[in-house]
Amino acid sequence: MTDTSSPAPALATRSVAPQQLAWLRHELDDWTSEGLIGEEQATRIAARYRSEHDARVSVGRVLLYLGGGFVGVGLIWLVAANLDELSPLARFAAVAALWLAFLVGGETLAARHASPPLVGAARLLAALGAGAVIFQAAQSLQVPAYEPRLIGLWAVGAFIHAYLTRAHLPFLVGVVTGVTWWFMQPLWDAQDGTTVVVLLGAGAVLAAALAVLHDGWIDGFAWTWRTLAGGMALAALFVAAIPDTGSDGLTWSTWLVVAVAVAAAATVLAGVVRRGAGILEPLGAIAVLLTATSLSLWATGTDTTAVDGADWAHAAISVVAYVLLAVALVALGTVRDHQALTWMAMVGLVVFTTFQSFAVFAPIVTGAWLFVVLGTVFLGTGFLFDRARRELVQALDPADTATDTASKGTDR
Amino acid sequence: MKIVLTTAVVATSQLALVGLAVAPQLSARIAGDTYLVRVAPVDPIDPFRGAYVALDYPDLRHDGSQSLVEPGLGSLEDGESGDVYITLVETDGVWIGEAWSRTRPDDGPYLACDDRSWQVRCGIESWFLPQDDAQEAEHLLRDGAVAELRVDDHGNAAVVDVRPR
Repeated sequence: MTDTSSPAPALATRSVAPQQLAWLRHELDDWTSEGLIGEEQATRIAARYRSEHDARVSVGRVLLYLGGGFVGVGLIWLVAANLDELSPLARFAAVAALWLAFLVGGETLAARHASPPLVGAARLLAALGAGAVIFQAAQSLQVPAYEPRLIGLWAVGAFIHAYLTRAHLPFLVGVVTGVTWWFMQPLWDAQDGTTVVVLLGAGAVLAAALAVLHDGWIDGFAWTWRTLAGGMALAALFVAAIPDTGSDGLTWSTWLVVAVAVAAAATVLAGVVRRGAGILEPLGAIAVLLTATSLSLWATGTDTTAVDGADWAHAAISVVAYVLLAVALVALGTVRDHQALTWMAMVGLVVFTTFQSFAVFAPIVTGAWLFVVLGTVFLGTGFLFDRARRELVQALDPADTATDTASKGTDR
Repeated sequence: MKIVLTTAVVATSQLALVGLAVAPQLSARIAGDTYLVRVAPVDPIDPFRGAYVALDYPDLRHDGSQSLVEPGLGSLEDGESGDVYITLVETDGVWIGEAWSRTRPDDGPYLACDDRSWQVRCGIESWFLPQDDAQEAEHLLRDGAVAELRVDDHGNAAVVDVRPR
């Protein structure tokens, strides 16, 4: 994982064999000297390619991450193995000393422009160590370790670290712990299926608004928020489409109201701060939230042996909503050059189609015919989706369209 | 200089969050009044946490049962889960539970507890002892002992000592 404090290249680079790169540079020199292209154009073309030797350095990075991780875990393990010899205060002091050493060490290494993977490993350990300090203090003072607020406070600490230093790994720790808290805290008071659906939908709205707010400010964080928003939106509709998810109704606990209010506030802020088409992302997520909640609250009965009109309607609307969401995510992935969104949408649609096919057809079609029907539905969906994706890519990517037009012109 | 300041802000903020995580227990220890409650041992050592003595409070148990399989403070069994408040009254020099409620009492003393897990927990269910003292404490508790609790105005409680009655 690269550190976001280092400037990102303006264009995506491709790794090529060293011989190819040498040939390209030689040719560029020739074209420049012949006046076919200018110096600036040659530089820009050359910047798009890098030697595979550079790519191989990533193996070294992985080893550095692993090494840093192993050393840190080993140190914590050494302390943990001897914890029963220590008093609660000594345990807290030992864990706090480790956390502080990782925090100061990581930031010192960053200030000295040490290897990014080494800095990342130290910062990761510091972010994990902050959680260890909270849980050790809680244990020493008899605070139940399963209380959600401990996870929430850990997330806040990791985000403070991440935003002040622009560090990506503490940010990921903050996202993981923050998402965990997002579900744990409201479900601590009320456990029902629709609460999960509303939390997923509201989480998608909040993450989408945060992604828009981070665009052009901290692009690395924006990427993560956008990925999270897409994943939560897909999960919200998936869970809502399961028959009778919300048969128990919806309990509006205080924390659930807070979660929805925070998501709404973030959307308003995104609309005020970032005027333009970007606001469509959180607005789209709000549409997902409303659709998913309605589907979840639509009880069609629990009898799996009889599929009536309501069951078919529920399944059909769920499929249509999911396909629309998947297409929207592919479009967003294309516009934003965000490959992860495209892949998430495609994988999500495959899993969703399979699940719904079993849920709808299994009670009335059994044995080998179930697989034939499922396969047919699967092939049809895949074909239509891939066709739609290609057309979207062509329609939304002007560069590709221009290239297409140019190539067609050349053919003529 | 900037890196020193940033690191200091991160460290201070995260330590403040640690303080927030244990604020109720710190408040009980620092600002709480002392109450003596009869106590019985449950399990001398928690294998995951070292020499913690798990404590049982017969006078705070809601249903009055003394199951060896499921020791602890019991549950309200009212079909709900969430916050539980145990009002304390003094009897023969020790404090016992008088009333169990879902709403916070107007005045104290009371314990602020929680039964979202399988039974009522008030943050006073275990007590740390050095490994050697844990076995000794087990014998002590069998002969009858009291736990010294500190309870603040909001019902937050902490165990500060366990001694023979």
